[in-house]
Amino acid sequence: MEVLRLQNLQKSFGSVRALKNASFALNEGEVVALLGDNGAGKSTLIKAISGVFPVDRGDIYVRGEKVSIRSTRDAMDLGIETIHQDTSLAPDLSIARNLFLGREPVKLKWLGVFAPLDLAKLRGAASALLKRVGISKKLDADALVSTLSGGERQSIAISRAMQFAAKVIILDEPTNNLGVEETHGVLRFVKEVRDAGHSVLLITHNIHHVFQVADRIIVMRRGEIVAEQTVADTDLLTVESIITGADMSALLKETRAK
Amino acid sequence: MTIAAEDEMPVGKRRSSLLRSPQFSSLVILIVLLAVFAIADANFLSPLNISNMMAFLPELGIIALGMTLLLTAGEFDLSVGAVFGLAPVVVMLLVQNGEASIGVALLAGLLLCVAIGAINGLIVTKIGISSFLVTLSMLLVVRGAALYITQGFPLKSWDQPGFFVTLLAGSFNIGSFRFYTSLWWFIGLSLLAIYVLRYAKLGNWISAIGSNRNAAVARGVPADAVKVWLFILTSVLAGLAGMISAFRISAASPVAGTGYELEVIAMVVVGGTALTGGRGTILGTIVGALMLRAIRNGIVLIGVPGLAYNIFVGVIILAMLILHALLQKNAARG
Repeated sequence: MEVLRLQNLQKSFGSVRALKNASFALNEGEVVALLGDNGAGKSTLIKAISGVFPVDRGDIYVRGEKVSIRSTRDAMDLGIETIHQDTSLAPDLSIARNLFLGREPVKLKWLGVFAPLDLAKLRGAASALLKRVGISKKLDADALVSTLSGGERQSIAISRAMQFAAKVIILDEPTNNLGVEETHGVLRFVKEVRDAGHSVLLITHNIHHVFQVADRIIVMRRGEIVAEQTVADTDLLTVESIITGADMSALLKETRAK
Repeated sequence: MTIAAEDEMPVGKRRSSLLRSPQFSSLVILIVLLAVFAIADANFLSPLNISNMMAFLPELGIIALGMTLLLTAGEFDLSVGAVFGLAPVVVMLLVQNGEASIGVALLAGLLLCVAIGAINGLIVTKIGISSFLVTLSMLLVVRGAALYITQGFPLKSWDQPGFFVTLLAGSFNIGSFRFYTSLWWFIGLSLLAIYVLRYAKLGNWISAIGSNRNAAVARGVPADAVKVWLFILTSVLAGLAGMISAFRISAASPVAGTGYELEVIAMVVVGGTALTGGRGTILGTIVGALMLRAIRNGIVLIGVPGLAYNIFVGVIILAMLILHALLQKNAARG
């Protein structure tokens, strides 16, 4: 089933057309990798979907319904959660407090921002969540995020997105700056997220990771989507050549022929 | 879900993390300092001297509470000392020119503080200039305004007994100790600040904003609005402290509070609040306020020459900060 559809999205910054005419759809329970060189328009597209800024033209549909996303809050309310490498968690807060940041369970709700946090509920829900995503043995809900490794932080951020039953989870370079083992942990986690029925839009520079977890690949170049393929129908070299714009497979054939 | 609701941590862990916390090391040093002063001079713990310290403590302490919250959110305010001077001056001018009753004048003074805080906050958040530069400029504007409207002369403050004098600068005796009502203000506001920072939803937002503003904004936390309100709060508390001080000594001087901004920031960071935001502790600030007050009082008593005493204050603050940094490093390693 289709969860998210983008139709003819356009966005310019001054005279720079960052997004020319982007359309694609994301289905339930699939991992789609968004590839492209620096400046291809990936992050513009992501920011448009996650509500950082509005698009100039074009429509966004969530579960077939046309929506307008004007703020990050709008996107979250529609079930679109974006996770950036460095901007997703507050290091000085505990895991539990991070998991519920902006959606804190409180008592005496009428006190507004002065309402006391429901600490028992916060802890309980955080522990339950950590257990559900299989990292409860290693992590304590009260531990400060600053004491966690990069991979653990990614896992926490992704679990937070899952917890709010997000339909679409956007991962912006989730494996940057991670070690080999941590990278595998995060990729495994991405698969689990998909198996739990969430859709994942994965932005990355690393094509190898794409072939490990993605179902489909979308390639952007100069603000446009230039290719869309299922992983089973393509290979690393083809994708690489589409990204750079050079036909490397042809080049390879030539060399082989010689 | 069996954990008691009073705190986030089980008791055992709470105890060990308390021992390693910055406010605890500050507390130990405070006790050591008090002991040293008490041994060096028997008068240090006399009722008169303690009463004296407790009279001064709330005035800077109240500002330090606001500053702690602001620093935790990642900003700071250098204009508090100037606001401390300006607010009571405006109040007294309004009263002496017969333009307002004392109650209305006090309210007008506080509203002026709201405006100053709002301007600080809006420039910092909406235009994106660092709070260091914005509040430094505001310091000059506000101090200049206080000097100009008084022509540099101190004003005689309100000294007729009445509701507001009792409310802000009344005094009472407990045994041979003499306390001012300002101590109640400090205690009450401290409890409120502890509640907000540790237990309220707002406190979670404040820490998150200071720790990683982008993360907070991405979760829908209204970071700019929170910061503006904290600037307003800090300004209002500085103005309130200035009024309390002016009523206590029955004079409103346009140069009152000069240098208080640095003293207040020193109290806050000595208590363990991070200058970089994200980690704030009201208990630490209270310890820090007590410590700076005790140092200022104690080194005079033990005979350090008046002109030399800033050397001591500076050295002790530096030693405290080094200690915090070392503890922090240790904690990160362990």
